[in-house]
Amino acid sequence: MLTVGHRPLPSPPHEAMQQKKAEHKTDHQKKPKFFINDHVDILIEILKHLDGPSLCVASCVCRLWCTIARNDSLWEHLCFRHVSSPPQSSVRPVVVALGGYKRLYMVCVRPVLSRLGHSDRVRRRTVWTRDVVQLSLSLFCVDYYERRLGDATASSLMFLCKPVNV
Amino acid sequence: MNKRNHQDTSGGGDYGGLQGNVGKSDSSSMSSGKAKMWEEEQDAGTGVDDELLAVLGYKVKSSEMEDVADKLEQLGMVMDAAPNLFCDTVHYNPSDLYGWVQSMLSELNNPPNTILDPMLQGQQIDDPLLAPAEFSSVPTLGFLNSQQQRQIDTTQSSRIYNDDSEYDLRAIPGSAAYPQTQDRESNRKRLKTSSGSNSAPPLLPSSPQAAGGAAAGTVSDSSRPIVLADSQETGVRLVHTLMACAEAVQQENLKIADALVKQVHLLAASLAGAMKKVATYFAKALARRIYRIYPQDCLDASYSDILQMHFYETCPYLKFAHFTANQAILEAFATASRVHVIDFGLKQGMQWPALIQALALRPGGPPAFRLTGIGPPQPDNKDALQQVGWKLAELAETIGVEFQFRGFVTNSLADIDPSMLDIRPPEEEAVAVNSVFELHPLLARPGAIEKVLLSIKAMKPKIVAVVEQEANHNGPVFMDRFTEALHYYSSLFDSLEGSTLVPPTQDLIMSEAYLGRQICNVVASEGADRVERHETLTQWRTRMGSAGFEPVHLGSNAFRQASMLLALFAGGDGYRVDENDGCLMLGWHTRPLIATSAWQLITTDSS
Repeated sequence: MLTVGHRPLPSPPHEAMQQKKAEHKTDHQKKPKFFINDHVDILIEILKHLDGPSLCVASCVCRLWCTIARNDSLWEHLCFRHVSSPPQSSVRPVVVALGGYKRLYMVCVRPVLSRLGHSDRVRRRTVWTRDVVQLSLSLFCVDYYERRLGDATASSLMFLCKPVNV
Repeated sequence: MNKRNHQDTSGGGDYGGLQGNVGKSDSSSMSSGKAKMWEEEQDAGTGVDDELLAVLGYKVKSSEMEDVADKLEQLGMVMDAAPNLFCDTVHYNPSDLYGWVQSMLSELNNPPNTILDPMLQGQQIDDPLLAPAEFSSVPTLGFLNSQQQRQIDTTQSSRIYNDDSEYDLRAIPGSAAYPQTQDRESNRKRLKTSSGSNSAPPLLPSSPQAAGGAAAGTVSDSSRPIVLADSQETGVRLVHTLMACAEAVQQENLKIADALVKQVHLLAASLAGAMKKVATYFAKALARRIYRIYPQDCLDASYSDILQMHFYETCPYLKFAHFTANQAILEAFATASRVHVIDFGLKQGMQWPALIQALALRPGGPPAFRLTGIGPPQPDNKDALQQVGWKLAELAETIGVEFQFRGFVTNSLADIDPSMLDIRPPEEEAVAVNSVFELHPLLARPGAIEKVLLSIKAMKPKIVAVVEQEANHNGPVFMDRFTEALHYYSSLFDSLEGSTLVPPTQDLIMSEAYLGRQICNVVASEGADRVERHETLTQWRTRMGSAGFEPVHLGSNAFRQASMLLALFAGGDGYRVDENDGCLMLGWHTRPLIATSAWQLITTDSS
């Protein structure tokens, strides 16, 4: 997990080196401050490496981070991170229509992955994750439908919840 | 303890003209006394001593030979089980073989405090007739000795011991769990060491309460020697009592059955968990059968839909069914541009969102998807099918699949004619027929299943997906059905128990109610009412084969998805997916519970 403070900023390595170079070059000049918020593309690159919970934490940092972290493409990246082949283009509109990648991840992919991680049956996770995504998509769709049925207590995904130790 | 002088009595129960000798129990504990009395009686007896034994020095009346032989057998088994048991009996006349065998047996029947007593059922009787009121206060254990009834039936002087009520509180042998059809005239008591048709450990239930002397009905129960532990499994006793009750029902011994049912309820009260629930449902169903309250299925279709929804959410069986059937249909529709699915039981349509989504993501784009849903009539004319259709249409539009829906309301699938369904020719549209637990009710009406299979053939489907329970609950003999159902639903309830995520939720309770209704139907209904006529995969294979279908193998995709789905369920280790010659079966531990199979019309030309 990457702990990121707002100020001062943990500059990424090449930034730091640039900074130092700049310092060396003009050490009598005032050092320019580096704010990550000025470099959104870098920020996105960094955030892409986070896992789900961290991403949620990151979205609490400031408004900019919140906007970025809510960007579905980050979550899409997260969902398909371990899948060997990239998903088809047709997947995205479907997922977006059903509620988006963030929801897909939080509601289906993450519990599925963690549950399978504990299961003895699933070996060689990398091979399975395409099927995991497919299964998650199916469950996601069922969940969407169940909510539409007007059932306030839609619980077709209840079985994915962690068991409570009483 | 047991006086051997029995008075004739006709009070209390239905001895129905038997020369009943039910003696009053004594509290004296003299086996020696007994032996003396036997001596007396023997001298007063009219039998002729058997010659061969007399040569050896034993005096046994010829008329008692069978008896003695049986008792020796009993004794032998007991001694095998516990050699050190005989200490108190004083035998006075060893040449009186009959006498000392009796005394030893009676001693066993009235044991001192021991944990593990081999008990012989032998000659136990209760005396409900004399004091039924007393016994009703005794919690569970009265004694039934139907043996006694049969003996009384004969002209032999009864060699029956009355059991003392003190001993009722100990777990003591009672009636046989497995009444056999016996030849009454011969009065042979066949003693068996096994406890009968279920290969269960040799334990017998305690007999029914002596409530109302119901125990005194005439039955052909056999006596069995049993080995009984004081700390025995109530659960096993429960099973045995259930089986005995079912047997009694099958033989129309309703009084016995009634008493046994009450016994089951009592035993179940001391249990917890799956076994308790199963036993309670089965007991209720048996009670309905006994009292001939054939449940008119007044619960409407929407209620049963709700129950099924909860069942859907609690355990993986329905999800498994849907996912595997969908996979088969998806693979069959791989290249079709227009597809038509006919669902024999639409209910809430939970199967279809996943298929619509999978079709949307099909390489090459989604086909035009037409769904025909069939369902039973709803109360107050609500158009439930149309509601479901609307929701599915909404979903399909959201994800970009061209969708059409049509609903058909009918009481029975056999009433549907293929021409009503607007089937288009196969070149234009690929047809799939889907049946999840919808085929077995057709077996209740003769000719219905054949008609439906013919209709399916007329639809010229590319694929027929069938999911059915993997059990034979449609045998002609009630007892077989009962036994099968008991095992099947025990496994099913076990799996529900094992997969609870949180303390019992409403879902769990509703799921159990869903299963309970099935149990009630299997056990208590008959004829056209009994719709839960489950059959095994093998039976369905034969049926489909002879109707003109050949199996389509479900691929590894289906297997993997199913396995993964099961791995997600807490308690998922208990569930197993097995592949059975192209069909997939989901089971709990070693017991397969539902089976998915796929079929197509037999292709005469190679294609």
